[in-house]
Amino acid sequence: MALYFGDLLPFSSLLLEGLWTALYITLVAMLAGSALGVLVYLGKVGPGKPLSVLCTCYIEAIRNTPLLVQLYLIYFALPALGINLEPVWAALIGLTLNNAAYTAEIYRAGFESVPRGLREAGKALGMKPAQIVRYIVLLPATRNVFPALTNQLILLFLASSIGSIISLPELTNAIMSVSNTTYRTIEALAVGGLLYLGVSALMSLASKRAETTLFRWAVGTHV
Amino acid sequence: MFRPFDWQDLIPLAQGAWLTIQLCTVSGILGVIFGLILGIARTSPSRIARWISTIYISCVRGIPVLVIIFFVFFGIPLLFPGLEPDKFSSAVIALTCFAAAYVAEIVRGSIEAVAKGQSEAADALGLNYWRKLRYVILPQAVKIMVPPGIGFLIGLVKDSSLVTVTGLLELTHAGNIVTNLTGDPIKTFLVVAAMYFVICYGISLLGRLYEKRTGVHVAPLKLPEPAAI
Amino acid sequence: MIFVESLNKKFGPNHVLKGIDCHIREREVVCVIGPSGSGKSTFLRCMNGLETISSGSIVINKHRLDDSKTNINLVRQEAGMVFQHFNLFPHLKVIDNVMLAPLKVAKTSKEEARAKAEMLLTKVGLAEKMDTFPGNLSGGQMQRVAIARALAMDPKIMLFDEPTSALDPEIVGEVLAVMKDLANEGMTMVVVTHEMGFAREVADRVIFMDQGRIVEEGTPEEIFSSPQHARTQGDVSKVL
Repeated sequence: MALYFGDLLPFSSLLLEGLWTALYITLVAMLAGSALGVLVYLGKVGPGKPLSVLCTCYIEAIRNTPLLVQLYLIYFALPALGINLEPVWAALIGLTLNNAAYTAEIYRAGFESVPRGLREAGKALGMKPAQIVRYIVLLPATRNVFPALTNQLILLFLASSIGSIISLPELTNAIMSVSNTTYRTIEALAVGGLLYLGVSALMSLASKRAETTLFRWAVGTHV
Repeated sequence: MFRPFDWQDLIPLAQGAWLTIQLCTVSGILGVIFGLILGIARTSPSRIARWISTIYISCVRGIPVLVIIFFVFFGIPLLFPGLEPDKFSSAVIALTCFAAAYVAEIVRGSIEAVAKGQSEAADALGLNYWRKLRYVILPQAVKIMVPPGIGFLIGLVKDSSLVTVTGLLELTHAGNIVTNLTGDPIKTFLVVAAMYFVICYGISLLGRLYEKRTGVHVAPLKLPEPAAI
Repeated sequence: MIFVESLNKKFGPNHVLKGIDCHIREREVVCVIGPSGSGKSTFLRCMNGLETISSGSIVINKHRLDDSKTNINLVRQEAGMVFQHFNLFPHLKVIDNVMLAPLKVAKTSKEEARAKAEMLLTKVGLAEKMDTFPGNLSGGQMQRVAIARALAMDPKIMLFDEPTSALDPEIVGEVLAVMKDLANEGMTMVVVTHEMGFAREVADRVIFMDQGRIVEEGTPEEIFSSPQHARTQGDVSKVL
């Protein structure tokens, strides 16, 4: 069969808008989710037993269930409880909560990879545990897991496509609606796929650059 | 119009879960086979093999699984008129394509992790590439592959939920149908989530059993080796 | 200044410190020597609470360490520690390493903290490395920064845990020189070390530990020239 991409041209803005939506949802979910993830991790290893159990259950629940089911629960189930959510908010909340669980685990590895001696030096100087985490451990831990964090960003970007199933107007949604209108399914999927591919490749390159710029003090050694 | 969520609703959900297990088993096995081939190609001395496998892996991993599922489901009948795979086969093809790329990276990492010295020792003994691969590198690499392989399997089960868009009656789609019958999305999808949890957590428990029996540690992340203090 | 009575420390079934009694006076420089595994580091780390006491008591600068009401952070502000592996904060410049605790714990103003940090770094001979990151320093330089960092909190006591064991032999000297100056200025120091030369020259008292007990105690001349116990004799001669 003959492929004809020309039919897609009038819809290029639709596709690009979808890409834009996917991008900003990814960014918000990444920032909010990472911050939440660090807190969840700290809650898990902290002194409070009930909080620790809660955080562990949260992490395990998210990591052992599909994102789609989590989104369904938020999007369809919450209205049943009286809260009406637009797809955007359901997707943002779902992706943030999802990301937080994975970030918590990433940070666990990060914090555990910081040598014990650094913490002891902080203790010996009279610093309180919260200060030790904030001023001494946090940055080296982040540096150690930076590759994992940037990988998470890319995964999040690709996962935003799942939002299409709950009618979020992001890129995959745009692809399928273009394909329904023009019947140029293969072409639409190909173009959309290339957009995803291009952006994720750019993200990959940018993160390598960011690593060397942000962590100049690391000088190639593992902390 | 709606009837309340009932024990009888567990049956279609359980059937969906069973289909999910079948889908993931088949895709998993095929994915491992093709992933192994791709991973070996990715690390082979042949430049062509490396290029082709790298391009395939990079493309597949840079595109959402959902797009791949759409591509296979809608694309195959369009690209190959007359060929209309049933929903299950189409899902298997899509998941296998994705899984192969994922597994290939695990294979690559494991092969590269087997100490470089092993490779050089084998070379010094005069083993050619294929013999070296078969008798020295792979046996050791395979052991390292299992822990991330467990993670891959769990991911596969979760990604299989996306096949719902094709209408295949796996667990998530079963959940949709039951929701339409009962009008109770909360209970339905909580049960669906619980079923996925049991499957995924079960796989990770198996992984921990393997860990205990063979002493291979399940490392959550690969971090660079620490420099001397 | 430091009173240790019947100090016992167990790590699970492992009885590491078996009834240590010790009194360290103000301005005294005490060196703790002994074979590996004798508990010297554990003994030192009990003094600033990095290790908890199983039984017995430590009173350091009038703080009782076994009393749960004691604010351990206050104790740690008064006792500075220098570690075998330096433990500098890699993400902070040298000057920031030294300023961190004064700023966040003692809550001194930025100008005061900075002035003091510069003064201390000059004292240890590293003023020009103020704005470098620890990753770019040699071992000896890192350890001297560590000493400056510990001194920034104006401690009354300095605890040294094998400060030169991780250093190349050629640069051990620069660190020992700083420690010697510190001793001459009247700092109370407890030094766990293998550097017998330093002990001989600078220590007021040498404590020899073995298998969790203090085996011998005395002035450097007593310990090194005429040790009483056979083991002390053996070990001292092995190391000298």
